[in-house]
Amino acid sequence: MIKAFKWWWGIVLAFSLLGLSRAFLPLAFLNEVIIFSIYTIGCSFLLGRVGFISFGQPAYLAVGAYGTAFYLFYFGTNPYVGLLVGVLSGLIVSGIVGPLFVKLRSDYFALVNLALAVIIFYLMQKVLADITKGDNGLWFLTNIASTPVLDLGKPSHFFIFALLVAMAVWAFYKYLDDSIFGACCLATKINEDKLKFLGYSNYSVRLLAFIMANTTTALAGAMYAVYLGFVSPEMSSPHRAPDPVVVTILGGVGTLYGPLVGAFAYTGMKDAISKLIGNWELFIGFLLVFIMLAGEKGIWGTLQPHLEKLFFWKKRKPETDSSAKAPR
Amino acid sequence: MMDTQLLISGVIFGLSIGSIYFLMAIGLSLCFGLMRIISLDQLLYYSIGAYITYSLSLATGNVWLGVLGGVAVGGITAFAVERLVFRRIYERELTFSMITSFGILIGGIGVIKFFWGVVPRPVPVPTMSQIDIIGTDVPVYRLIVVGVAALVYIGIWLFLNRTIIGKAIRAGIEDVEHVEGLGINVSRLFTITFIIAGALSGLAGGLHAPLIMVDPAMGLEVLAFVFMVVIIGGLGSIKGTLISAFIVGQVVSIGSLIYAPLAMMAPFAIMLLILLIKPTGLYGSTLVKK
Repeated sequence: MIKAFKWWWGIVLAFSLLGLSRAFLPLAFLNEVIIFSIYTIGCSFLLGRVGFISFGQPAYLAVGAYGTAFYLFYFGTNPYVGLLVGVLSGLIVSGIVGPLFVKLRSDYFALVNLALAVIIFYLMQKVLADITKGDNGLWFLTNIASTPVLDLGKPSHFFIFALLVAMAVWAFYKYLDDSIFGACCLATKINEDKLKFLGYSNYSVRLLAFIMANTTTALAGAMYAVYLGFVSPEMSSPHRAPDPVVVTILGGVGTLYGPLVGAFAYTGMKDAISKLIGNWELFIGFLLVFIMLAGEKGIWGTLQPHLEKLFFWKKRKPETDSSAKAPR
Repeated sequence: MMDTQLLISGVIFGLSIGSIYFLMAIGLSLCFGLMRIISLDQLLYYSIGAYITYSLSLATGNVWLGVLGGVAVGGITAFAVERLVFRRIYERELTFSMITSFGILIGGIGVIKFFWGVVPRPVPVPTMSQIDIIGTDVPVYRLIVVGVAALVYIGIWLFLNRTIIGKAIRAGIEDVEHVEGLGINVSRLFTITFIIAGALSGLAGGLHAPLIMVDPAMGLEVLAFVFMVVIIGGLGSIKGTLISAFIVGQVVSIGSLIYAPLAMMAPFAIMLLILLIKPTGLYGSTLVKK
C-alpha cells in the first residue's frame, strides 16, 4: 500500500495540481496543455531515453488525428471508438515505418521523419483530397454522439477524460522508466556496443521504443481530433515540426514531468507573448539556444533538484530520480 | 506525351531550383564533414540573404548589388553566430548542434519579422529577357542562376584542391586530430568553413529572391528540400551534393509537369528509397563523431 502510494503520488500530485488550476485558468488552455503534453512525451522519450531526435512527430500526430476523423466523419459517431481507431492507425503506421527508420543514425532519423511528415502533409492536402477535403479539412463536431458517463463533446467533460488519459500515459512511462526495458533504452542511447554485449538487440529495443512513442503521439492526435471536432492537413505541416522538440527541451529532456511543465510553459508563453509583442519566435528561439548553452536541463530539469531539496531534505531518497540515472 | 517546349522549360526550371538547393547544401555538407555539426541555421542566412537583396535592390534599384550585399551579410552573420554559439558546442553530439541551430533559426526568423514585418515582399527580376533554346523561350535569369551555381562548384573545387586551406579542410573531413597535429589552426579552419557556408547560403537566398516572394518563413519552406539534397548526396560529400541537387531539382520540376501533387512528395519518396538501400546516401561515407 505504502509502496503503491510512493510510486503514484508524484503523478497524482502533478495532475491534481493541473485539475485544481481549472479554477483560475481557462478550460481551452488546460485542454490544449494536456493534449500537447501527451504529444510531447513521445518525443521526449525518443530524445531523452533512446537518443533519437525526431523532427517528424507531426506525421504521427496527423495519422492519429486522421484515423479518428475518418471514422467519425464517414463511419460512426462514438468518440471513444474514434479514439481507438486513431491510436490503432498510429500503431499500424509506426509499425510499418519503424523497422525501416530505426536502422538509421540519429541525424538521418530526424530528417527521414521530417520527410514522412511532409509526405503525409501533401498526401492529406492534395493526393487524397477527395477523401480529406484538402485544405478545408474535415468537420465532424456535429457527428460526435454524446456518450453516457463522460460526454466528450463537452469541453468540461473532455477535460476530465484528458486528465485521466494523461495520468494513464504518465503511469505507463513511469513504469517504463523503472523497467528493464527503460534501462535498455538508455543503454542503447549511451553505448550500443555494450548493450549488444549484454545480449540485447539494439534494433528491437529501438523498434519497440519507436512504436510506443509514436503510438502515444497518435493518441494525442486522436484527442485533438475529438476535442476540436476538426482536422486539416495543417496539423502535419513541416512548420509545426519543431513544436514538440522545443517543448521537450523547454521542459527538460528525458525527465518524466518535463513534457508537462514544458507544454504548460510553452502554451502559456505562446499566448502571453503573442498578445504582448506578437513576435514569439524571437523569444522562443533565443530561449532554446540559451537553455542548450546553459546545460540543456530545461525548466523541470532545473527545478527538480531544488524541489527535492525543499521537500525531502534528509528524509528519504527522492523517488523520481529518473533524471539522475541519465548522465549527460 | 509531353511536348518538347514544356519539357525544356521544365528542365531549365529544375536546373535553377536544383542550383539554389545545391548552393545551400554545400554549406551544410561542409559543416557536417569538417565540424560534425548539423547547422540548420544555414536556412537563416538564406532568408537574410534574400531580405538584404530585397532591401538593397529597393534602395539602389540594382538586384545584383543586393545579391552581393546578401552574400556579405550572410557571411558576417555566420561569423558572429560561429563565434558566439558554435564555438562552444563543436565537441557536443550531433543532436545537440541540431537543436541549438534550430533555436538560432527560429530566433532569427523572429528578428527578420521584427525588422521587415510579416508581409511577403516581391523582388524584381534583374533581367526579363528570354533566350531561344530549340524553339522554347527560356528566361535568361534562370540560366544565370545555373551559371552561378556552376561557377561556385568550380570555385569550391579549386579551393578545396588547389589551396592550402582547402586541402586542410579536406584533410580535416578525414581526420581533424591529425590536421591539428600538423600544426594547422583548426579553430580558424572551422570559422573559415562556417563563413563560406553562410555566404553561400546568403548567395542562394539572394538568387532565389527574384523567383519567389520573400517572406520570413521562407527558410522553413526550403528546409526539407535542402536536407533532402544533403541526405541523398551523403553528408560531407560535395560531388554527391551536386548530383543529388540535380536529381531533386529535376524530380520537383518534371514531377509537377506530370502530376502536380506529386512534385512535392516524389523527392521524399526517392530519399526514403535511397536511404533504405544505402543508409549513408549516394556518396556519403560512414563518418562518425570522434
